[in-house]
Amino acid sequence: MLRALTTSLALVALAAAQAPTRHWSFTPPQRVASEVDDDAWCRDDLDRCVLAELERRGEHPSPEAAPEVLLRRLHLVLTGLGPSPGDVAAFVAEPSDAAYRQTVDRLLASDACAEHRAVAWLDLARFADTYGYQSDYTCRTWPWRDWLLRALHRDLPWPRFVEQVVAGDLLADAGEPGAGGGDDARIATAFWRLHRQTNEGGSIDEEWRHEYVADRVDTFGQAFLGLTLGCARCHDHKSDPIRQRDFYATGSFFAVDEAGLTPYSTGGTPQPAMRLGDAAAQRELQRLAAAEADAERALAAALRVADSTPVHELAAPAPVAQHGRFVGDGDRRVGIDKPPTPTRADPYSLRFVVTAPTDAIERAVLVHTSNYTEDADTQGFQVLLKHDRLCWEVVHHWPGSAIAVATRTSLPGGRAVQVVVTYDGSSRAAGLAIWLDGERADVAVVRDELRGPATVRRLELGGRDRDRGFAGTIDEFAMFDRELDGAEIATLCRRAATDDERRDHARRHAPAVAAARDALRQARRAHQQALEQLPELMVMAAHPHPAQRFVLRRGAYDQPDTKQPVDADVPAAVLPFDASWPRDRRGLARWLNAPEQPLAARVVVDRLWAQCFGEGLIPTPNDLGRAGEAPLHQHALDLLACDLQRSGSTREILRRIVCSATFRQASTTTAERHAADPHNRLLARGPSFRLSAEALRDHALLAAGLLRRTVGGPSCRPWQPPGLWRDSGAAWGGGDYQPDGPAGAHRRSLYTFVKRTAPPPDMVVFDAQSRETCLVRRQPTDTPLQALTIWNDPVFGECAEALARRAELELPQRGLASHVDFVFGWLCGRAPRDAERDALLALCAQAADERQGLALCASTLLGSDAVMVVR
Amino acid sequence: MTDPLDVYPLALGRRAFLGNTALGLGGLAMRWLGGGDDATPPRGPHFTPRARRVVYLFQAGGPSPFETFDPKPLLRERHGEDLPDSVRNGQRLTGMSGFQARLPLAGAFCDFARHGKSGTWVSDLLPHQAQVLDRLCIVRSMHTEAINHDPAITFFCSGSQIAGRPSMGAWASYGLGSDNRDLPTFVVLVSKDAQRDQPLYARLWGAGFLPGEHQGVPFRPGSEPVLFLDRPAHVDAAQRQAQLDALQQLHADQLAHEHDPAIVARTRQAELAFRMQSSVPEAADLRSEPDSTFALYGERAREPGSYAANCVLARRLLERGVRFVQLFHQGWDQHGGLPGGITRQCQQTDQASAALVTDLQRRGLLDDTLVVWGGEFGRTAYCQGKLTPNDYGRDHHPRCFTVWLAGAGVRAGHVHGATDDFGYNVVDGAVHVHDLHATMLHLLGFDHERLTFRHQGRDFRLTDVAGKVVRALLA
Repeated sequence: MLRALTTSLALVALAAAQAPTRHWSFTPPQRVASEVDDDAWCRDDLDRCVLAELERRGEHPSPEAAPEVLLRRLHLVLTGLGPSPGDVAAFVAEPSDAAYRQTVDRLLASDACAEHRAVAWLDLARFADTYGYQSDYTCRTWPWRDWLLRALHRDLPWPRFVEQVVAGDLLADAGEPGAGGGDDARIATAFWRLHRQTNEGGSIDEEWRHEYVADRVDTFGQAFLGLTLGCARCHDHKSDPIRQRDFYATGSFFAVDEAGLTPYSTGGTPQPAMRLGDAAAQRELQRLAAAEADAERALAAALRVADSTPVHELAAPAPVAQHGRFVGDGDRRVGIDKPPTPTRADPYSLRFVVTAPTDAIERAVLVHTSNYTEDADTQGFQVLLKHDRLCWEVVHHWPGSAIAVATRTSLPGGRAVQVVVTYDGSSRAAGLAIWLDGERADVAVVRDELRGPATVRRLELGGRDRDRGFAGTIDEFAMFDRELDGAEIATLCRRAATDDERRDHARRHAPAVAAARDALRQARRAHQQALEQLPELMVMAAHPHPAQRFVLRRGAYDQPDTKQPVDADVPAAVLPFDASWPRDRRGLARWLNAPEQPLAARVVVDRLWAQCFGEGLIPTPNDLGRAGEAPLHQHALDLLACDLQRSGSTREILRRIVCSATFRQASTTTAERHAADPHNRLLARGPSFRLSAEALRDHALLAAGLLRRTVGGPSCRPWQPPGLWRDSGAAWGGGDYQPDGPAGAHRRSLYTFVKRTAPPPDMVVFDAQSRETCLVRRQPTDTPLQALTIWNDPVFGECAEALARRAELELPQRGLASHVDFVFGWLCGRAPRDAERDALLALCAQAADERQGLALCASTLLGSDAVMVVR
Repeated sequence: MTDPLDVYPLALGRRAFLGNTALGLGGLAMRWLGGGDDATPPRGPHFTPRARRVVYLFQAGGPSPFETFDPKPLLRERHGEDLPDSVRNGQRLTGMSGFQARLPLAGAFCDFARHGKSGTWVSDLLPHQAQVLDRLCIVRSMHTEAINHDPAITFFCSGSQIAGRPSMGAWASYGLGSDNRDLPTFVVLVSKDAQRDQPLYARLWGAGFLPGEHQGVPFRPGSEPVLFLDRPAHVDAAQRQAQLDALQQLHADQLAHEHDPAIVARTRQAELAFRMQSSVPEAADLRSEPDSTFALYGERAREPGSYAANCVLARRLLERGVRFVQLFHQGWDQHGGLPGGITRQCQQTDQASAALVTDLQRRGLLDDTLVVWGGEFGRTAYCQGKLTPNDYGRDHHPRCFTVWLAGAGVRAGHVHGATDDFGYNVVDGAVHVHDLHATMLHLLGFDHERLTFRHQGRDFRLTDVAGKVVRALLA
């Protein structure tokens, strides 16, 4: 037999010898020459890797699968949909290599391929349509799924995919080339925000912020490295060289300015978030932003030329809301009826006299406009005491979308202090001012990102539901519908205004200035209205006020080990972080894309292998560490990993796999050989595995002629059993699942709405998950509930009936046997064998009529091996 | 009907053989869901079990001990006074009451009386449970780690606040396997008549990383107890039988061509599904129960889906070999309006909870059935919100609360552990959630440290890295 040496693999195992003691997966992948006896069998170096291992064990590959079997397999693994009988007939008539490759090209380029490939990423991304904790409200996540579909459909090069997901926001901010279309790259980063989030009242926000970062680190480890980084949250990793501080150092890349709780009573999107608009909307926003800037310049110009003759008779400004003396005890609070409801484009001011107790105040609410405390629901404006500092804040969602300033010195206690706070309607921290006893106070900027409406829902003094009240007095409270100037404030505080203040007052009240100010307000409102009607998406954004992070003792949020501060870093045992890279998520992306990176490429190609074979080359895909199992065919894995590093094309990897002789083998085996290798680790036969939940339903819809092929967009709500949420106790406030009618009934399953606390039962029964955490590989199970679902779920029943109708419609007057063959052909991708046809004809004999008999055939077939299993 | 195993005996793997014979032998410890080669056989007990099955009466929301099983006269004496700082000792509060200026103590609105041979104090709100007190082991010293509902109930049901771990029932199913292959191993019953204050989550009965067949199967009230159990209207029983016959023939032929034993396993699942279409409705149909059942459990038990009906159903399922039945009754989250709320909760659950214990005993099932009653945490000794003469509320309190156990191997008529006079801290016999889990597993015959499943390179267990068997709870 011919003994061949593959010349393309000249780089023999040099590097593998460099560090013989290193764990296999921590050594960068290398191409290794494989010598085989039967080179004629090989279509590709990939096959040589596989065959060399087989020959070493005295095994031999299986013959090529029959054309119709191969074509069905190809369609299902690439698109999650079976071939039509026409596809099968054409290929069986001419099963050439060229025809095969043409089919591969066509399928790889299809939308269906991107949709099918997306499912594995949705599992990794813990993608769902609800927040996942407690009330489990709906959240907007689908734009990320659309980004994923676009990226897969245009075969976004893997390094770009990594850059966009990991650091798309930072690249867009910096205008760097990896960002591609800036908005698109920003959307990609929503990946890190798809974890579950709580809005349960009483939750401690700090605890949840740590929880979310921990989830991102877990997900990063699982999705990109195949490592169990989460094991190092409470202590150093037991089996891998990952220290506890690596866990927290990695987490530092993923800290964003988030609340910890999702908005409950105010609605809206957890911050940081971006606005989603199409090109026309973006152009309109640019126009409105320019108009706003113009109006600002016009106001500045009007102020410059306005008459500044000092005004000597100052009228006291007229308040729009008032309250007399309020004496607080820490619990008591008082509401002001029918409060003014300014928008963030409107200037306003507050004035009151406060007498605080003399002891230190950690926190107290003086004035606010929202339903609950900051744990989820602050909105509007508020004056708080935090650690004795007076804080003046205008808030959309705290802290990620807010402007806030705080005095640099403590508010004096034990005496009356005249307080005035003003806001100029600019949505900038610079537009906030605090005056104490008539003097402008020196303030620190605490937050300076106001991105959405700061809606006023009420006006309350002295305390707030679920917040700490003020045990002091607030007197002479008044609200004004403009930004008070120094002269007015002086008057209110019973001191004489300075000449400068009087001149400033005169300028501000000049008719031209007032007109310009009004114009600016209109320009801002127009801009904000256009902006705020655009939907938001949670994304990543650089933290404007990052706190020092520490190792947390035993992983507890309230146990920071102050002796162990951490900065952003990677697990150096995998690959050290290059000092020349930016120490943020851009650098993290470069770390993942580095040629020496041993894990990332292997993890990705292994998942592509699993897409084609049902299982990956790596037996423990969620653990490439020392506790995991090494792949039998490491050479094949590394060959593909090197290929990905070279080409960056995941589509080419898929092409290479499905075109290989290894993939094209028949899966048929003997009982003995199956028993010797039940998981097909050797690859001495072709793949056989049960269809995913999605593929099973989608293929049934396709065969029935019902499948609606709209790509992308919001999730749909197909029929589900009535009472689905209510009966399982998951319906917050008594709401239940509502199907959205014909438009959403028959779309591909990846678009089906997933409520995490009550996921779709027809998906879960076939091993789809609730998407609560990152999932690398679904665990296939066989249960009787699967058969019950196929026989009795009206969705599958509808498919069976539609397919029966279709048989009669498309083959009129052709007799039962041909109709049975039609049903079988659509579902199974081949003609029935005699025994199969006989069994189905016998079934038809039990039916009331032919239509029902065909439907029974379809229903039975859907639950049978010939449909459910890729062979 | 042709059995594919006869057609192709070569494919008789070990599992297929067991799957086949288990039908005849019945008692052979096979999981109801045979499965393919990936399926794991039951772990089997490590030592002789005291309990063969469990019914967990989960009172979701966190019942107050002060109005049920842990009387605190001091709270009445000092009603309205502030909780002393020395008692609270800096422990965290939730964000709901953590900002209150005052934490006024709230005495129970209801009275307590002594019951049973032990003369144990039980609230007037629980007259029926008071009658079976001598069969209960009351644990007043439970404590947990989480302070909010979602993490706390997830922790209680799966031993971890993190989603994705197997639930208690899934572990039991994994360890014990099935006693009746025609029914699920782990069944979940959610009360229809409960106040739906705090929601429930599928993860509370999920299989986590265990094979999916260990997942709890929720039974629904009404005519179709399991989702997709009923045939469509236009398919009659004979046609369904014909479908199964056809499937067996299709699979026999497929097996002859593909030689894959997974085909046999899948055929078995379909056969089981077919049988479930009669076995499940039979088990779930309470109409065959005599009037004496409803006299015992209360007339509410006639209303399908009520807590009382679910207690009867639980007994029927246990009788038929279901290993783990978990009831969930929501509505115990009394942040405010506690007197009215808890009175309603007790009225809904008291009689049936007691009846279940009595009924199991009468049928000789209590000897090897473990019954557990309790919620995910307790409630504060102080009032949340405004304390008025007739009304008060209590916030979440993880530091102490009460559960009770009964049945197999449990020390009956015993009160374990104690809390301080304020009901704020455990002072004696602390039982952590992991300890309770370890004790439950012990009663089922398992060393909780050895009932493990390897996932992500680590051996996971219900009790994480902690837990000790509380011997004092054992008979």
